[in-house]
Amino acid sequence: MAMATATARSAVLLLALISFLLLLPFLAAALSVDSPKGRRVLVLLDDLATKSSHSLYFRSLQSRGYDLDFKLADDPKIGLQRYGQYLYDGLILFCPATERFGGSLDQAAILDFVDSGHDLIIAADASASDLIREIATECGVDFDEDPLAVVVDHIGYAVSDTEGDHTLIAADDFIDSSVILGDKKIEAPVLFQGIGHSLNPSNNLVLKVLAASPSAYSANPKSKLSNPPSLTGSAISLVSVVQARNNARVLITGSLSLFSNRLFRSSVQKAGSSTRHEKAGNEQFLTEISKWIFHERGHLKAVNVKHNLVGEADEPAMYRITDDLEYSVEIYEWSGSSWEPYVSDDVQVQFYMMSPYVLKTLSTDKKGVYSTSFKVPDVYGVFQFKLEYQRLGYTSLSLSKQIPVRPFRHNEYERFIPAAYPYYGAAFSMMAGFFLFTFAHLYNK
Amino acid sequence: MARSSGDDAQALFHSLRSAYAATPKNLKIIDLYVAFAVFTALIQVVYMALVGSFPFNSFLSGVLSCIGTAVLAVCLRIQVNKENKEFKDLPPERAFADFVLCNLVLHLVIMNFLG
Repeated sequence: MAMATATARSAVLLLALISFLLLLPFLAAALSVDSPKGRRVLVLLDDLATKSSHSLYFRSLQSRGYDLDFKLADDPKIGLQRYGQYLYDGLILFCPATERFGGSLDQAAILDFVDSGHDLIIAADASASDLIREIATECGVDFDEDPLAVVVDHIGYAVSDTEGDHTLIAADDFIDSSVILGDKKIEAPVLFQGIGHSLNPSNNLVLKVLAASPSAYSANPKSKLSNPPSLTGSAISLVSVVQARNNARVLITGSLSLFSNRLFRSSVQKAGSSTRHEKAGNEQFLTEISKWIFHERGHLKAVNVKHNLVGEADEPAMYRITDDLEYSVEIYEWSGSSWEPYVSDDVQVQFYMMSPYVLKTLSTDKKGVYSTSFKVPDVYGVFQFKLEYQRLGYTSLSLSKQIPVRPFRHNEYERFIPAAYPYYGAAFSMMAGFFLFTFAHLYNK
Repeated sequence: MARSSGDDAQALFHSLRSAYAATPKNLKIIDLYVAFAVFTALIQVVYMALVGSFPFNSFLSGVLSCIGTAVLAVCLRIQVNKENKEFKDLPPERAFADFVLCNLVLHLVIMNFLG
């Protein structure tokens, strides 16, 4: 009897355990918010000393919830994907001297990683290898071809006791965008020591976030200049970002020491200015821009596109010309932890067939719903509701919904056309005239 | 010379008026009816020239009713006129009956085409 009860009790316990394990994934899903990007980041280093010499930057990422996986660049066990699934959601390449990656990683694998929508941070340096330079070129950024050239600035350098060749420069020419660099203005200049790159002016996906001052140039500081340097002035970009058409974001910079603890903690005074800032702007700059790179800011989603006739609730399959219709869409922005309503006054919708017949700016109720109403034009055909939204620093929205528009049915025209009243009048007056004429003709003397 | 051509025109006009005064009364009634129809047609053409031909079927219907009426009235006048040798044997009642029937058909067509 006792044994039966014992087995019964253990059976009940087993059942409870199994049901709890089965319910666990649902519990986990209920607790997590649907963030647009994952948190696993692979960090590739040239040597593991970088992990401690750049620990402040890595700690800022880890404190925001990112799962950093540090590996040496030539570790044979590294791989970005296994069985078709990506193991990581972001990649940081702090390995400027690496000629070849270990494991299954190569330039094509990294570019596929970005093409599938994941984010990338590349830091080159004065000793950058061809591999890193080529990856940067594929992303739209051209490093200076001379392998010995670094950015030198004899007017905008950072005043310091040790470095006398003016390769450590203090840069404060930031891009004017609060989405990319945060709301707080970066007061202190950013300390930079490394190689510069240039951007192709016809490339509209790449942005110069930190440019060199007009007095900078890219040359070898140890040898005499035989001919003028090819990269000079503000054309030199120190830090650039690329937002690809699939909204993957890439940060490219020519200085690994930009991220280092030494420059984070150092004080900065730009040559020629009298203010000495206690802390360089590196930490604030890189923290804010990393937030943007990993989609904690400036990531939009548009959901719930609805259109219907004014006064009705359901979407018709077809509209008629000169109908009144209303269109609404909900746009949210990821704030790092939740989806907040996106507030802006320049979202426009087009009613498009080969060219926009109607272009209206949507008005928002500040809770994320954007709506407008307009009259269908007097043209029939297959139209699209097109919403194209590309703003600096935000993901691009491109929505399109097709809807046919038909002409009037034969019984939907006005019964009597006001413009034809004279003709109606003439016809009836002829009939009346005929009637009166018959009497006049028959009964005249 | 100018005076004589002016006099000639006036003399012509006077002779026309006196000749016309001699026509029988029933023919004058038909002439008035024709003038009314043509005048209505001209009004419609001027209106179309101003406003455009948007309901073109209505325009055609209106103008056609006027012109058709005028044509049928002219036919009646020819057949009823006693000075006309060709229709000497045609009884005027027969001419009138034809006129009425044709007008009925005309107005039926016009009503259908008016829109």
